[in-house]
Amino acid sequence: MRRIIASFGRRLARWFARVGALARFCFEAVAAFRTLPGAGRRVSGRVLANQLRFTALEGTGLIVLLSGILSFLVISSAVRQLGSVGATDLIGQLMVVVIVRELGPLLTALAVAGRSGTAIAAELATNSVMGEVRALEAMGIEPLHYLVLPRLTGCIGSVMMLTVVFDGVAILAGQLAAGSNGMSAPQYYSGVLATLTTGDIVLSLAKGLLFGALIGLLPSFQGLSVKQDPTEIPRAVIRATVGSIAMIFVTAAVFVLITGA
Amino acid sequence: MSHPLEFEGVALGRLRRRTLAPFESGEQSGDPGFWLNVPEGQVVVALGDESSGVGTLGSVILGFSLVPIGSCRVFGVDLSTLGRRELLSYRRRIGYLPIGDGLLHNLSLRDNVRLPLRYGSNLHLSEIEERTDRILDLLRLTRFSGLRPADANEEERRRAALGRALAFDPKLLVLEEPFSGMTDRSSAELLYAARGDEGPQRGHRTVFITGQSLPGRLVSDIDREIMVVRGQAIEATT
Repeated sequence: MRRIIASFGRRLARWFARVGALARFCFEAVAAFRTLPGAGRRVSGRVLANQLRFTALEGTGLIVLLSGILSFLVISSAVRQLGSVGATDLIGQLMVVVIVRELGPLLTALAVAGRSGTAIAAELATNSVMGEVRALEAMGIEPLHYLVLPRLTGCIGSVMMLTVVFDGVAILAGQLAAGSNGMSAPQYYSGVLATLTTGDIVLSLAKGLLFGALIGLLPSFQGLSVKQDPTEIPRAVIRATVGSIAMIFVTAAVFVLITGA
Repeated sequence: MSHPLEFEGVALGRLRRRTLAPFESGEQSGDPGFWLNVPEGQVVVALGDESSGVGTLGSVILGFSLVPIGSCRVFGVDLSTLGRRELLSYRRRIGYLPIGDGLLHNLSLRDNVRLPLRYGSNLHLSEIEERTDRILDLLRLTRFSGLRPADANEEERRRAALGRALAFDPKLLVLEEPFSGMTDRSSAELLYAARGDEGPQRGHRTVFITGQSLPGRLVSDIDREIMVVRGQAIEATT
């Protein structure tokens, strides 16, 4: 019995140590904004541009596809079901509350975590194993400046931009779905615009910001925690992906609780 | 008078990784530790097998490892007194060629050479390009400068890594296993570039080389060779 308790205690201590290390890493990464030297901004800017190209630009197709199909399916079904009880006026509310406010940021973040989060974790873990992180430090370059900050800001910017794309495409695809089920465009748009407020857009972007920060930080932490063993790389990628997805869902739930209250 | 590089009783077997944990220096040990002074402008080579501790010397000089017993001073500064930001700034004054090469694989050889200048200097872009061109020319890398490390051969990668170490024209250069896998002729060229023999002040740089062996052709080009045996320096030739 004592052995079981001791084993549980050890695991718990390791878990707390890891959470503590993650918290310290996040704090240091955010604090690193203040210490980025002037010349370093040029270099980090180039890495940031690459990150935006990879995450935002090259990820747009996936987001358009996801958003278009999801919105078309949801609105098609909803128009048929609500139409049978004469409640098609609720289509606008459904679009704004369910898709723009909740699913837009959530699905965008999940897509980016699956696509770019894994890439970040794998790249930084490889950098670590190949001795590139140590080489950066040996040149007097802070790895947080060169490796983490551009990825963090790139992910935040990308998730926010892609959330706007997701919402825009969803509204357009919703109109197509509504139209194909006999609902006129003016009726559809009047319903959407009557429900959509500035608060919804701000909330959607705020979620994008927070989800983007999670996708920038967690995979970076997991990637850089790999030391020398290449077999650690896939494990770090899995931890990064699962951790990011779990944290995105938890944060989305917290948002619902806060905004609901 | 202080030397560019001074080891005083460093216990190479008891180094610690640098972390933010509290650290107490001044521990005592039974063995005399590693003692060595590297005078200005000299090329000093420390050789030893894997278990000798020679592989940790670069890590001590760069401040990656903390020294619980003894001290390491570079340009008169005790590295254990430096905080993280001071260490990063200090490292820009030291040229370092790590074992392997440590090149960034998503950058070309040219970008690798100019990275420290672009990040850590306030030079104008045209001055950075000019200095990069000069280094690439010195190391006969101009033709291959657009290659990524994965597309370059081992010798080109080593030359590029040395070019990166020379970017700030450091007074002290630390080379780890710089000649492994290289021909005698290439090794001699590398040492020539490392010493700064091409400039107006010929051989102005202090060079500290660690490794397991030295190409025979280079023995006459070095000023001092020591053997590291069980963490202690033993004079080989003078």
